[in-house]
Amino acid sequence: MKVDTTNYLSLPFILSNKEPRLIVITGKGGVGKTTLAMAITKALESQGKKVLYNCFDQPLNTNLSKNLELPHFLLNMEDSAKEYIAKKLGSETIAGWILKTPFFSSLFNMLPGLGHMILLGHIINKVEEDPELTIILDSPSSGHALTMFESPQNFKEMFRSGLIVEDIKRMEDFIFNNEHMKVIIAALPTEMALQEAEDLELALRERKVKDIIHIVNDLLKICPSLENATDEELPEFLKKKIAMEETLLKELDSSWRLIPHYTHNNPASTVKECALLLAKDMHDSQ
Amino acid sequence: MIPSKRIEIFCGTGGVGKTTLATSRALKLAQSGKKVLLITIDPAKRLKQILGLEKAEEGQVIQLSNEVFGPNSDNISALLMSPKATLQRMANLSGAGEGLDNPIINILTRPYGGMNEIMAIIEVQYQLSTNSFDSIVLDTPPGKHFIDFLESTQKIYQFFDKSFVDIFKYLGKKFTNENEKVKTGLLSLLVQTGVKKLLKYLGKVTGEDFVDEFIDAISGLYRNRMAFTDALAFQEHLKKPEESNWFLVTSVDQQKVSEASGLRSGAQKFMHKDSYLVVNKSLTPYLNAWQPDGSNPSLVKLRDSMKERENAIKGMATEGYKEVLFFPEVLGTEPKSHVNELAQSWS
Repeated sequence: MKVDTTNYLSLPFILSNKEPRLIVITGKGGVGKTTLAMAITKALESQGKKVLYNCFDQPLNTNLSKNLELPHFLLNMEDSAKEYIAKKLGSETIAGWILKTPFFSSLFNMLPGLGHMILLGHIINKVEEDPELTIILDSPSSGHALTMFESPQNFKEMFRSGLIVEDIKRMEDFIFNNEHMKVIIAALPTEMALQEAEDLELALRERKVKDIIHIVNDLLKICPSLENATDEELPEFLKKKIAMEETLLKELDSSWRLIPHYTHNNPASTVKECALLLAKDMHDSQ
Repeated sequence: MIPSKRIEIFCGTGGVGKTTLATSRALKLAQSGKKVLLITIDPAKRLKQILGLEKAEEGQVIQLSNEVFGPNSDNISALLMSPKATLQRMANLSGAGEGLDNPIINILTRPYGGMNEIMAIIEVQYQLSTNSFDSIVLDTPPGKHFIDFLESTQKIYQFFDKSFVDIFKYLGKKFTNENEKVKTGLLSLLVQTGVKKLLKYLGKVTGEDFVDEFIDAISGLYRNRMAFTDALAFQEHLKKPEESNWFLVTSVDQQKVSEASGLRSGAQKFMHKDSYLVVNKSLTPYLNAWQPDGSNPSLVKLRDSMKERENAIKGMATEGYKEVLFFPEVLGTEPKSHVNELAQSWS
């Protein structure tokens, strides 16, 4: 089986043109966002970059993170909100008190978009404060990623003026000026996942997110274990699966980057192998 | 076949095939003559794609034609959640709808405004109360957002209970009929000044206009609070085995065993004895038939790794489930044929 490696996802491709400072990984649920985000983090780290992984509002896979010695940071919505309010009002005591009122805490619960915006604002602040740092954001899946990206606009419209709006404008400058943020949309070789990736990309472009790349993950067609296998050796269901992948890949243009299926049951090994593949061309070009 | 209930709830982590499986369950029930309403809460709305309803209006109950899945598919109606449509219906029912026509509420009920989970609870409870269907099959949002959905009723309760007491103590003059709960005394006085202060600070960091609109939004919600508090009844249906079936979906093409367990413990206080673990995309029948001759070690490795994945799912704590259901991976790309094949696997 001939393997075409020219379209593999690679670090040089992710970092091409301007080096993004915030790399957001999103896509349909279950497409391998976390594995990919961790692999990009490890690959960048192996190149001597200062990089941190963040899993936004989802819980961290602590075992995996420990296994990989993953450089990361965690955010907590309430702490982020408190820190922000304290900065704005010049008092931690007042900020703490505001967050403790039942009104405010239940408002937070009713409006998850507000929490999304505060977390995203915190992440952007972190990147802006440290010019050496790159953050890899393992983002929520499609619909909730749109809520996240839309939250600054929505709350800007709501608040209209005042200190928060100034900060939201700074956030939007960062997100939409095409200099610092890259979005990677991941899909699997299935009709549903690819359709969702295309819908998501369209929706993001409508919201003026410009620097977007898309990838197909978990491809058997380029699986290292199948590299030397002949067609006759493969069982019927694998041939069928590969044929399905080929049908779907034919519909895609060459801008799609590919990631193979890895034959590991240990998630840490999958992340490591994926990180090696991503960084491979870095060594080649050095 | 597993006896159907008024609510059939499908939950699971992302990408395990919840929407497709929920649709196949709806089809199976429809084929046995039941009237079914299929609701998706996932804002990604893949249900549209499966049912070929790309142009259909969100927020409307749409009866399928028999062309979609063959005979009896017209027993299925589908509802693609739209927070805006739910809000509109709430306004029509309450007679206090003008209070909901507020810039803040309008922004928050946009498709990606973030209110989906809470509005979904209200919509589902409303659909239940109409008694127009034998079963409502519910496709829930992935992972943590499913727990958000479940806990929405609690959040609604807290919001209308705790925060409204605060707010109306402060806004007492404006809402003379609503502040029966106001108690005098030092404590409530402290809270009273608290909210006043809170709004003053709010005005500092946001525009002043916002504070006014915000107060209007709050009062609009309060006047429509019945719609929210009615939704609390939904939680009770979910807890009763005679009212609901639970399907926790997981799939073998992912290493999501621990996440599925996490989800289950999050939903533990709602789940009851009629809970099923659904293992989707099982390759076991194919893998058992595959015997590589050993001349190519990497093929043996691939087969073994695939088998190991399946076994990891099977080794998952299955006690506490009434039954573990296996659904084979469907080898085909067309979503409708997936649903048809999966419907046949429901026993």
